[in-house]
Amino acid sequence: MAADPKMRFLVVDDFSTMRRIVRNLLKELGFTNVDEAEDGAIALQKLQGGGFEFVVTDWNMPNMDGLTLLQTIRATPTLKHLPVLMITAEAKKENIIAAAQAGASGYIVKPFTAGTLSEKLNKIFEKMGQA
Amino acid sequence: MTATNDSDDLEALFDSIAGDFAPVAAKPAPAPVAVAKAPVTDDSDDLQALFDSVAAETQAAKAEAPGLVVEEPAGEEWPRQEAVFNRIGHMARLLHDTLGQLGYDKLLSQTVSALPDAKDRLAYVANLTEQAACRVLNATDIACPLVDDIENGARALGERWDKVFANQLGPQDFKALAVETRAFLNGQLPEKTKGTHAQLTEIMMAQDFQDLTGQVIKKIVSLAQDLETGLMSVLLEVLPDTKRTEEVNSLMNGPVVNAEGRTDVVVNQEQVDDLLDSLGF
Repeated sequence: MAADPKMRFLVVDDFSTMRRIVRNLLKELGFTNVDEAEDGAIALQKLQGGGFEFVVTDWNMPNMDGLTLLQTIRATPTLKHLPVLMITAEAKKENIIAAAQAGASGYIVKPFTAGTLSEKLNKIFEKMGQA
Repeated sequence: MTATNDSDDLEALFDSIAGDFAPVAAKPAPAPVAVAKAPVTDDSDDLQALFDSVAAETQAAKAEAPGLVVEEPAGEEWPRQEAVFNRIGHMARLLHDTLGQLGYDKLLSQTVSALPDAKDRLAYVANLTEQAACRVLNATDIACPLVDDIENGARALGERWDKVFANQLGPQDFKALAVETRAFLNGQLPEKTKGTHAQLTEIMMAQDFQDLTGQVIKKIVSLAQDLETGLMSVLLEVLPDTKRTEEVNSLMNGPVVNAEGRTDVVVNQEQVDDLLDSLGF
């Protein structure tokens, strides 16, 4: 895995517990440079401040949901290259298709395991390496 | 309102509401609901007749509805809203009568008084589960470094013992290693495993919410079932077929609680991956 352990993550979820879990899992995988945002709007502000290289986001959040965040990221020239991994409880097929069409880099349904997160991250890093 | 638990009081309350609304209905409301056509009194039979006529008018008016809306002059929204309130009042009256006839009024008044209680109970569940999650995460935060220390200490000693077996260590170093190993086994190791054990117990104890939330949730589920059964039978009797709409289509549904028999949802990560693969993503 060619991923830089200093890579800066933004974890977006309205539940602090879930942010903490994802942060801990990322730490286990060697990524300690993690910031958090509690909804899409706050995430966007932080992203526009610059310095982030990876976004992990929930879907269902107040103020701005994860799909809108993803669409906004893809429509913003300075952010559109960012990998966006969705971790969500939304399990309808149309959700998954909508996320893929909006340009999600990966889609994980909750509840998920540490193994799944690791696998999806590696897959995304591989693709990033090829690009 | 203090009268919610008593059926007679409820009766009186509905009568007073219906009475309040009747004069409004007598005004010539501009449209789209031509309520004023029926002569209105406070009498329940007339109300029933009025409701029927309104229902009929509404059905008939549906076809012309777009035109009506366009012609509606700006600034005349209040009469329209009154018409809406008026209709709601009558529907409430009708619902109340139907409930009474079916014997659901008692059940519903019990349910209504139980709803604030259910809200409190759900808040309690949310609170307890959040506390439990925090306790568990705190415990792992404390236990992880302990386990890491044990692993690192054991690995360091093990590497030095490997050197002993490879004859790479002098007598002095060997003695030091023996002393350190003893200290590790007698001191650090039991201390850290004890610490880890304490956190495992903490994690176990944090699950005590399940007993409490389980009881609370069972109560709320039974309340919801009563409410659903009561309201569904009433609605099925009151609701015209045309008002029965399909399932609301939305992308924010939360977790799938019961996927049995559903083809529109995935149940695990494998299915997500398969779906994305099949679409070429």
